[in-house]
Amino acid sequence: MEPAEAEFLAEKELVTIVPNFSLDRIHLGDLGPFNPGLPVEVPVWLAINLKQRQKCRLIPPEWMDVEKLAEIRDQERKEDTFTPMPSPYYMELTKLLLNYASDNIPKADEIRTLVKDTWDTRMAKLRLSADSFVRQQEAHAKLDNLTLMEINTIGTFLTQALDHMYKLRTNLQPGESAQSQDF
Amino acid sequence: LLFLQRVLLLVASDVDALCACKILQALFQCDHVQYTLVPVSGWQELETAFLEHKDQFKYFVLINCGANVDLLEILQPEEDTFFFICDSHRPINVVNVYNETQIKLLVKQDDDLDVPAYDDIFRDEEDEEEDSETESDGSEPSDKRRRFEEEVIERTMKRRQRREWEARRREILFDYEQYEYHGTSSAMVMFDMAWIMSKDLNDMLWWAIVGLTDQWVQDKITQMKYVTDIGILQRHVSRHNHRNEDEENSLSIDCMRIAFEYDLRLALYQHWSLYESLCNTSYTSANLKLWSVQGKKRLQEFLADMGLPLKQVKQKFNSMDISLKENLREMIEESANKFGMKDLRVQTFSIHFGFKNKFLASDIVYATVSLMESIEKEGPETTNFIKALDSLSRGNLDKLHQGLDLAKKQLRAIQQTVASCICTNLVISQGPFLYCSLMEGMPDVKLFSKPVSLCLLSKYLLKSFVCSTKNKRCKLLPLIMAAPMDVEQGTVIMVGIPPETESSDKKNFFGRAFEKAADSTNSRTLHNHFDMSIIELKTEDRSKFLDALVSLLS
Repeated sequence: MEPAEAEFLAEKELVTIVPNFSLDRIHLGDLGPFNPGLPVEVPVWLAINLKQRQKCRLIPPEWMDVEKLAEIRDQERKEDTFTPMPSPYYMELTKLLLNYASDNIPKADEIRTLVKDTWDTRMAKLRLSADSFVRQQEAHAKLDNLTLMEINTIGTFLTQALDHMYKLRTNLQPGESAQSQDF
Repeated sequence: LLFLQRVLLLVASDVDALCACKILQALFQCDHVQYTLVPVSGWQELETAFLEHKDQFKYFVLINCGANVDLLEILQPEEDTFFFICDSHRPINVVNVYNETQIKLLVKQDDDLDVPAYDDIFRDEEDEEEDSETESDGSEPSDKRRRFEEEVIERTMKRRQRREWEARRREILFDYEQYEYHGTSSAMVMFDMAWIMSKDLNDMLWWAIVGLTDQWVQDKITQMKYVTDIGILQRHVSRHNHRNEDEENSLSIDCMRIAFEYDLRLALYQHWSLYESLCNTSYTSANLKLWSVQGKKRLQEFLADMGLPLKQVKQKFNSMDISLKENLREMIEESANKFGMKDLRVQTFSIHFGFKNKFLASDIVYATVSLMESIEKEGPETTNFIKALDSLSRGNLDKLHQGLDLAKKQLRAIQQTVASCICTNLVISQGPFLYCSLMEGMPDVKLFSKPVSLCLLSKYLLKSFVCSTKNKRCKLLPLIMAAPMDVEQGTVIMVGIPPETESSDKKNFFGRAFEKAADSTNSRTLHNHFDMSIIELKTEDRSKFLDALVSLLS
């Protein structure tokens, strides 16, 4: 799956906006009535579109706050395994919201740094885990609390690498009906 | 109304128009209004564009063009076509003002238009018909004869009244249309409109600032109007940008910020070296008389007075020692006062985004003008316009930097041309005005075949000339500047600018003067530009045209 696809899926998440126009309920997936000044929850794709047309103000999700993110980052650094993330799409949402609505998000620069720090820690753990997985020639592994984007980053590489290694391993055993796998 | 209709945007080729266009485009995008953009550089292109598109569009928006002529007369549109005109050219043609249906003018409310009263210029045609109808009434001969005499007297009185009215009308119209000047910047008017709709953004505010600064750079508005408009914009700037002081909720560094500055009026100095900027800004170059050897010595003295070593000053501004840059503005102002330059600082605004990017409004104006009038011909005619338009968006920094480089070349070319004109005494007095003509072989002369560049050159030349001449009468004269436009077709472009005085009201009478001179000499002229004080003519007709002007204006 491409990162763009993961981002597309992330856009279905709900976020709160404060519109400056009024509109009744739309049945494009049940979008609530819009009244100027009253917060309403909409999917991210709509929120970004409205923001670009100057029709609303975005409210950052609760977890997008400097203190909370600092806590999460520190927690991640302490643990060896993956800690649960505030949202399965935390990376995509951060990127989208900070790109299009950074003027609605206080201390946007710090938030960007904190999220990046957390991401880096998790990726390091992922690499470590993949490394030990290969070294110990495990058959399967269980990783909790990974998000889709992280899985994507390592997924293709890992599966192809394992494939290659399997081929190399089978070829090491001579004589046995070495039927090479056609791909 | 406009949801289902497409709109045609006709935009003139000056920076104020481009800024107004950007604001309008942003508003259109918010509301999903479909539009087509057609850049026009003169009346001919305007008419062609109109003829091409009149069948598909009912709504036309004209930016910085169309207000000063009888638009309906020229374009002959259908009854159901509407024109929205946002034009800073004044005076607005009376037909446009009093038309109630098809022409809608976008003007700021307190912009003083001085339009003559309706009754003074328009008169119903029906009055005449009544006179002739009262002739045939059957009645007794004596009565008839008496009534006939009465009627004759009545008719003569009416005719005399009518002649008086017409004479007064001609006078009023003559006074009204004699001088050309500029009203509020179109970009500011557009921003105002956006503000009233509560859709104004910091981006749009910046474009409004650039539009106003363009008027100031090109000397189109009085100092008082400039300061008043700066005040208006300053209120908007504080409203949009007050969050920068608040530590708690400070904005991301990538967000755009606008700040008020009381900065040096040295062109492009933060993107050049201080030395180059001092040499190539008309204010300093004219006051220090930098075309002469003495002038260059004075510049050295000026720098020495401030304690700025030459080596530092000739480097790129960003690489200058920080200790020197710290109080630069105040230091320069103090020294400048000693050398007779009291207005070296000017109120303006700057924009900030990211860590590297800081620009003054005047920087953007110079860059955009150079992009728009660049003589490199790549692609169809409108590429320069589109490039200049794009460079106004923050995402197109590479175009902006290109523009800055071109602007440096242009400013250098202007100063060198000014220096050579003054040193070789090319500016001659023709009596009622000064005249200067650029020869074909002069370096960079091609740059000045474009109207805005030629106007900038003329203004800088006049400023320098006024500082260089001892003749008191010559200092008060206006200037006509001529430059070769198209060598193959043998045409010349001529620009007339008002005299350079402290309290000039920037009103220009050359528009009408050019018209009259062209008529009386049957010269082959083309009054193509929206600014009536710019005219193109055949090189052969030049001398008789000038003679006619001299006799007209003496």
